[in-house]
Amino acid sequence: MNKSLIGAIIIIVFLAIGFFSFMDSKIEYVNFADARDIHKKVEVKGQWVKDKESNFDSGTNTFTFWMKDDYNNEMKVILDGGKPNNFEVADAIVVKGKVKDGTFMASEVLTKCPSKYEATGEEIKNSGY
Amino acid sequence: MVGKILIYLSFAFSILGVVSFFLVHTGKEKYLKPARVFYLLTATFVIATSALLMYLILTHQFQYSYVWQQSNRELGLALLISTFYAGQEGSFMLWTLMTAIIGIFLLRYVSKGDRLEPEVMSVYSLVLGFLTFILILKSPFNYVWDTYAGDVAPGFIPADGRGLNPLLQNFWMSIHPPTLFVGFSAMAVPFCFAIGTLIKNKYDEWISYSLPWLLFAGGVLVLGIMLGGYWAYGVLGWGGYWAWDPVENSSLIPWIIIVAAIHTMIAQKRTGGYKKTNLILCILSYLLVLYSTFLTRSGVLGDSSVHSFVDPGKEVYISLVVFMLTFLAIGIGAVIYRAKELKTFDSGSKNILTRESALFVGAVTLCASALVVFAGTSWPIIASGSIEQDFYNKMNLPIAILISFINGMSLLLKWKTNDEKTFFKSLLFPLIITCVITFALVIVGVQDFIFALFAFAAIFAFFVNAEIAITIFKKNKSGIGAYVAHIGLSLFFLGIIASSRYSQDVNLTLELNKPVEAFGYRLTYLGATEFEDPNNQTDSKYHFNIRVQQDGKELLLKPVMYFSSFSEGVMKNPDIANFFARDLYLSPMGLVEPETFTKDQIHEIPKGKSKDIGALNVEFIDFNFGGILPGGEEVRSGNFTVGAKLKVSDNKFSEVIEPKIEYKNGVPSYFVAKMSDKPNLNFYFAKMNVSNTGNGEAPTASIAIVNTDETPMHIPEESLVINASIKPFINILWAGTAILVIGFFISIYRRRKDL
Repeated sequence: MNKSLIGAIIIIVFLAIGFFSFMDSKIEYVNFADARDIHKKVEVKGQWVKDKESNFDSGTNTFTFWMKDDYNNEMKVILDGGKPNNFEVADAIVVKGKVKDGTFMASEVLTKCPSKYEATGEEIKNSGY
Repeated sequence: MVGKILIYLSFAFSILGVVSFFLVHTGKEKYLKPARVFYLLTATFVIATSALLMYLILTHQFQYSYVWQQSNRELGLALLISTFYAGQEGSFMLWTLMTAIIGIFLLRYVSKGDRLEPEVMSVYSLVLGFLTFILILKSPFNYVWDTYAGDVAPGFIPADGRGLNPLLQNFWMSIHPPTLFVGFSAMAVPFCFAIGTLIKNKYDEWISYSLPWLLFAGGVLVLGIMLGGYWAYGVLGWGGYWAWDPVENSSLIPWIIIVAAIHTMIAQKRTGGYKKTNLILCILSYLLVLYSTFLTRSGVLGDSSVHSFVDPGKEVYISLVVFMLTFLAIGIGAVIYRAKELKTFDSGSKNILTRESALFVGAVTLCASALVVFAGTSWPIIASGSIEQDFYNKMNLPIAILISFINGMSLLLKWKTNDEKTFFKSLLFPLIITCVITFALVIVGVQDFIFALFAFAAIFAFFVNAEIAITIFKKNKSGIGAYVAHIGLSLFFLGIIASSRYSQDVNLTLELNKPVEAFGYRLTYLGATEFEDPNNQTDSKYHFNIRVQQDGKELLLKPVMYFSSFSEGVMKNPDIANFFARDLYLSPMGLVEPETFTKDQIHEIPKGKSKDIGALNVEFIDFNFGGILPGGEEVRSGNFTVGAKLKVSDNKFSEVIEPKIEYKNGVPSYFVAKMSDKPNLNFYFAKMNVSNTGNGEAPTASIAIVNTDETPMHIPEESLVINASIKPFINILWAGTAILVIGFFISIYRRRKDL
């Protein structure tokens, strides 16, 4: 048995499996309009629409809210799980999931709040002597 | 001012160190003494800089932007100390400090005997050169009036600081980052040895004296990584210990490579093979540390990490890229420079059935795992998008199975040649015992094929290692490091199988004082109690007390929720009951306060429309904002009163009434309105809903009608919503990790004579 041959076979098989699995697992960044036509998991970045309904349903363990993407498309989002940390103060949120019957069924929500972690000039002005 | 000067001095002496150590390499021996002094001065100034920063933090010198941004007067000593590395500038400072201190030991180490001192220390000084350069650009010693020029006048001293992010306010903050940075810093050493060896053109000796450093870097790094995992599990409430987050991944990748290198270096030590492999792996591991820093610090992964690091600015971005590219160029350059010599090396034993080959296959498999994580983590910077977490699990599962098998089998093989018969004979005992235990596990419930196979492989590796460890322990106690580490890894794998594949979770709504059964436990929510957090007196923190009862025993779990003024959001911390065979993990999700009105009392009526409610017809005419603007300043401030004009008619006559709702800081109170002839009916204005008006829909009012003649309905008490989960045998996972780390340190101890 030749060692390098075995090595080569393992590597090729692995790379092939890895490549297909990778293609299968990658999630594209899209907007809500495109998300309707893609029937696999996607990511959409946008803002929480604060004045529309948002509530947690403890029966189904889902958190429902409305989100507006960067192109101003609005969509109702149902997150499988509770309200994410820092949800209220997030500058932007990223939802991962798919569209089903006009609603975005999210499996994960990332909240981005750089502004809170970065101090502003406004804040130091108010910090007094 | 002093801080900045100290950083400049560190930078200057590190560059002097690079140059003079290199001159020593070229044969100018007289520079050796000054070169050593230059390095020690670099390290001294770095330590002095760090001490100064610590002093500024401890004495609350808020005129320094970094101190103002990261700390405040409220924090206790331990957390106050940890604000040193809570921000970008400070964590670079910590990395530099650890690198400088490790370098002092390294200098002492390489100056003993012929250990490539000038070459190694020249490259190592360059590492410090880059780190101190980044500190010049990203200084923790800027004054607030420079950082916020225009906002505050020179000489301004803020009364208090902003404080530490509440997510970081716990015990783990004191040990996870320093441990991780010791590991990160130590990873520079194998790189320097590899480059030094290439420059020197000698490829054998470096293995034995660099191995302890690889073991140290690997052992500390994995300890740091798993402390982070425990932090995530026990305090942050991610539910798990690992989320394949870019920040986690990027410290895991170099660790996997250094582990692969440790194995092939042991092979080279025994057989002389894999000379090229070892050089390349040692170089690669530090390049990956730098790549990891670039990924997590430059802001390129802005959208895909929960560790949202702030964009550090263009200069830091560029210097990180230059840092990475310079070391890449040094690595590739050194290899190309010696390409002729490297080509002549034999590629190791041709026989597959040797321990040497098995170690190589194991190293390749480890690299495959690193490649998987690397590809997934890097994807967001290549394309817009990310990779599902499941990708990492799917790909690493077969790799982990393969690694366990290779681990078990390689140890039964001899280094150079093997008689197949004796090999299969030695396989027999571990295989039988593994079969028996796996069979038992399958009966107990491990019934997915792939997980049963994983368990089989891990148990196999466990027994092979345990058997050898026992034999060796009798002869040479400190020789068991490798086997202990492998046993730890096997246990860790078994812990993963049990705690992830066989964990269960359920969402529960726990009404006050009403027991609920879950997973054989009786859970009762006993109400919330406020508690003092000495580090945070600004926020009111609450324990949500849950009594857990089982078989007559009981204990109290206290998950935490509070509104953080720093984050302007609700923070949640889980609480865990740790039993021998499982963890009961309670993660708070929210508190449902009792509703003022029941669902059937509430009627939503659009403006201008009417609705038949019982014998009445109720028309919602309009809101009465009493002079204030709808959507104006008062409304947004959350302090205002609004009425709902209602025309209520029965078959006899109609009457206009106006129930009101008053908001104080957003909290509503209700003013009842009654009809003149029906004193038993209370009309309330429960809620106004104007949110859909943008879509052309009419605003609506929710009207509650409460009949005081009817016996009041059961008003539910407050309820706590939690996610309860069972993590079977997670103790095995933590024990496995600890044993793994101990294994690394036993192996270092064994090589103590080389130190």
